[in-house]
Amino acid sequence: MRDYPLENRSAFSPSVAAGAAINLAPVTGGFVIHVLGDAKSDEAALKQVLAKIAPELGADVRKSAPNQWFWVGDADVSSERLTEIQAGLSNQFALADQTHGRVRMILSGPSSRTVLAKGTMVDLSADQYAIGQSAMTQIGHIGAMITRVEDDSFELIVLRSFAGSLWDELHHMMAEFR
Amino acid sequence: MSSLVKCPHCGLRPREEFTIRGEVATPRPSAGADEAVWFDHVYLRDNPRGEHREYWHHSGGCRRWLVLSRNTLTHETSEVVDASTLKLGGGA
Ligand SMILES: [Zn+2]
Repeated sequence: MRDYPLENRSAFSPSVAAGAAINLAPVTGGFVIHVLGDAKSDEAALKQVLAKIAPELGADVRKSAPNQWFWVGDADVSSERLTEIQAGLSNQFALADQTHGRVRMILSGPSSRTVLAKGTMVDLSADQYAIGQSAMTQIGHIGAMITRVEDDSFELIVLRSFAGSLWDELHHMMAEFR
Repeated sequence: MSSLVKCPHCGLRPREEFTIRGEVATPRPSAGADEAVWFDHVYLRDNPRGEHREYWHHSGGCRRWLVLSRNTLTHETSEVVDASTLKLGGGA
């Protein structure tokens, strides 16, 4: 858990006006928490317990690996609150705050799939990839989690030290639509 | 032919997401085994034509170790399982 106050302010600014064919925007604020479950843990149980002990934060969890998830939300969570939440979880789940370590960004617009198809082979077609579905994969050589958050809108979660690189790469991939 | 691997956790993914760590070796010799036996185990590998069982790490996805069967002639992969299932009686 981080032991210093985090000023969660993105270094990036939205690149294209909303409503354009393609738009890339950073998510400012909010939290990213890595949840590690034991061998018997499952997503339904996790969502249920999160809704009970932290209803104000939502239970937006994305599967990253067997028994591992990323829990994300737009509210800011203090270290104290996080300690409370961990205490409320059974030993079945452990939390590792990744708010300082991972950056969220949103790629949206009618061309978003075409842009992402240049970097990942995961099939993001509307009929294959439901809203809310996510995949831990690579965009080019950078590890990233892709979640379809709305119809033509994808959230990318990337390690903070790779965020600038991915941001640049996406701009190259987007160039033809700007 | 592009190499696609069906990860039991992530679904169909490109070979680029994986790190390949070589064949699933024969069981480890006992600690006191002859030097020749250890040499064989550590250094000597067959180069089979056909089915080959290998360790693959899904480094770009779920980060699990997998064991897959690959045909060295056609590069077709089949029977991909999580490496942890070997402990449950799959036999390495
Ligand atoms: Zn996988």
